[in-house]
Amino acid sequence: MKGIVFTEFLEMVEERFSLEVVDGIIERAALPSGGSYTAVGTYPVEEMGRLVGELSAATGAPVPALLHAFGKHLMTRFTQGFPRFFAESTDALGLLERVETVIHVEVKKLYPDAELPSFECTREGPDRIVMVYRSPRRLSDLAAGLIEGCAEHYGETLDVAREDLSGDGQAVRFTITRGGGT
Amino acid sequence: MSDPIAVLERALERERRARKAAEGLLEEKSRELFTANQDLRALAGTLEQQVEERTRELALARDEAVSASRAKSQFLANMSHELRTPLNAIIGYSEMLREDAIDAGDEALSTDLLRIHSAGKHLLSLINDVLDLSKIEAGQMDVFLESVPVGPLLADVVSTIRPVVEKNGNTLELVAEGELGTAHVDVTKVRQTLFNLLSNAGKFTSNGRVTLTAGREREGDRDTLVLTVRDTGIGMTPEQMENLFVPFKQADASTSRRYGGTGLGLAICEHFCRMLGGAIVAHSEPGVGSTFSVRLPARQPRAEHPSGSFERPARPSRGAVVVVDDDANARDLLSRTLAAEGYTVHAAADGEEGLRLAREVRPVAITLDVLMPQLDGWAVLSALRADDSLRDVPVVIVTMVGDRNVALALGATELVSKPVDRERLASIIARHVKAPAEILVVEDDEHSRDLVVRVIEGHGCTAVCAQNGRIALDRLAERQPAAIVLDLMMPELDGFELLERIAVEPALRAIPVIVTTAKTLSREDRGRLEGRVQQILQKGLYSQSDLVKWLERVTVPLAEAP
Repeated sequence: MKGIVFTEFLEMVEERFSLEVVDGIIERAALPSGGSYTAVGTYPVEEMGRLVGELSAATGAPVPALLHAFGKHLMTRFTQGFPRFFAESTDALGLLERVETVIHVEVKKLYPDAELPSFECTREGPDRIVMVYRSPRRLSDLAAGLIEGCAEHYGETLDVAREDLSGDGQAVRFTITRGGGT
Repeated sequence: MSDPIAVLERALERERRARKAAEGLLEEKSRELFTANQDLRALAGTLEQQVEERTRELALARDEAVSASRAKSQFLANMSHELRTPLNAIIGYSEMLREDAIDAGDEALSTDLLRIHSAGKHLLSLINDVLDLSKIEAGQMDVFLESVPVGPLLADVVSTIRPVVEKNGNTLELVAEGELGTAHVDVTKVRQTLFNLLSNAGKFTSNGRVTLTAGREREGDRDTLVLTVRDTGIGMTPEQMENLFVPFKQADASTSRRYGGTGLGLAICEHFCRMLGGAIVAHSEPGVGSTFSVRLPARQPRAEHPSGSFERPARPSRGAVVVVDDDANARDLLSRTLAAEGYTVHAAADGEEGLRLAREVRPVAITLDVLMPQLDGWAVLSALRADDSLRDVPVVIVTMVGDRNVALALGATELVSKPVDRERLASIIARHVKAPAEILVVEDDEHSRDLVVRVIEGHGCTAVCAQNGRIALDRLAERQPAAIVLDLMMPELDGFELLERIAVEPALRAIPVIVTTAKTLSREDRGRLEGRVQQILQKGLYSQSDLVKWLERVTVPLAEAP
């Protein structure tokens, strides 16, 4: 998993909770990397699992809720770090449609070793797309948080219906409908 | 609760390690970039080297191709010369013997000789086709554009090809749609294209109709000459039309057996049309007939002959002719006819003016109308005969009414009645202004030389021979001939060199020269001949009458010269 996910995660924990909580979950997780992350590095995805698990244990918040919140946070950072991609779309559905076909293509050019989830999109109408998340990492909660963060960026309200296609979270269908409350 | 200092220390330690890891990654990336950059440079260097090598190879291949092409065209030029020279003798002698046989009333012999003559002509046309196509394919076919009046060009084509078309019981018609004017085209290629289309039409049609329709399409800047050959012959199926313009392909194998030909004609026509910036299109229906349409750009840079001037700058004048007629139309017609024959025409609307002009320009001939107000034709004639300087000038009476014997008795040379038969008028004038003249024949091939000499002598002139340019120069030093018939390819001093020597001799420069050659002339060759020769006759392609016409023309003014 790319280092930026780890550094952003730890920054979020430090902002929302404290440096102490960060230190605590790292210590308890007993990570092979020792919890030293750089945004340009690559680290085992299991470490993220352990960190989120420890955070849940330390705060009492369920893992899905934490991943969701992290997804929203990550999207905020993306809008700051890569404003070009967001300027190229005029609305949230437009941007989401371009994740697979444009944004991930660009990411692959910079980081050929990046293991990215796939987001297969189908346009079902002017206000609706179907997006199928596929990844062995089963992080569809994170994806849901990213979708919500995206809607917030464009000042839109999206109705997101979620259906687990594989039964184990490796393939999840999001039916995303633009609401009237923009 | 944990110790805040310890927490900070650990956080700091993690940041330090992360920084070091990042620095390590950065260095690794830098090294990768450096290596990639070096690889790219090496690749660029190799590529440049490869490009250079390829360029060298290509240049070499091009040089080889150019020299091979030169060798090929040289070979073709030699071949054409070698093949056409003996053919010229075969064609010329058979034509001449045939005339003798006809005169002697030996019909069987004349028929056989005609067969030899036709076979020779046919062989020559096949050789020419193959050579043309080779030249086209070698990119050696040059285009010579000149401004020509379209009407006379087509009339000439039609009259030449008429016997071929009519042989199968066909009728041949020339239809001009609107004013055809003057076109800026390559006359030889247009003629050859039309000959081919018309002879094809005649070949594949029997007891039918062949039509050559000519028109001009002017649209904005575009000015197109459209020539259409239509027949009512056997026509073609769509399958047969597929390979129509492909060299060596005839409709099917049986076609060549039945109708002859090389299957090169249409391919050559198509190339010619394209070279002239035009196109050729065919339509056909089996059993109904075929239509071939040639469209050529007819750029027309100049207006037609300005009225009042009938001089042709292209060739030297055969001398001045004074035309006296009070009728403007008749005057114009006579003037045009004589100008077309190469005379400088001075027209007068009445007898007084005619006399004045005659005294002024000392014409080689005068045409005179009889019925004119004030001074009539007879009065002008007697005034002319009374004038020492004009006494011997041939006078042709051109009149609606008049008795030839009276005219001759009054001192006229000949009488021509109106409406004027232009050819007759031209030949009368040519005949009467002519005097026996000496013609120098410069030719290395014995047969060709004898042929020309016999034509010259048959025309009432005397011939002096030279086997090459050097001997010709000796002859020229002795005596000046009225004209020179010149071959180009000769040993020692060739025709080109001889022309160069003549050009620097003021006394010889004005002698009219006609070239007869078997050589295929390049643009360069033509450039060297331009301005120095009056006409070029291709051996085997010209008939004796071409040479005779020229002789008639050139022997006139010189014989008249004091």
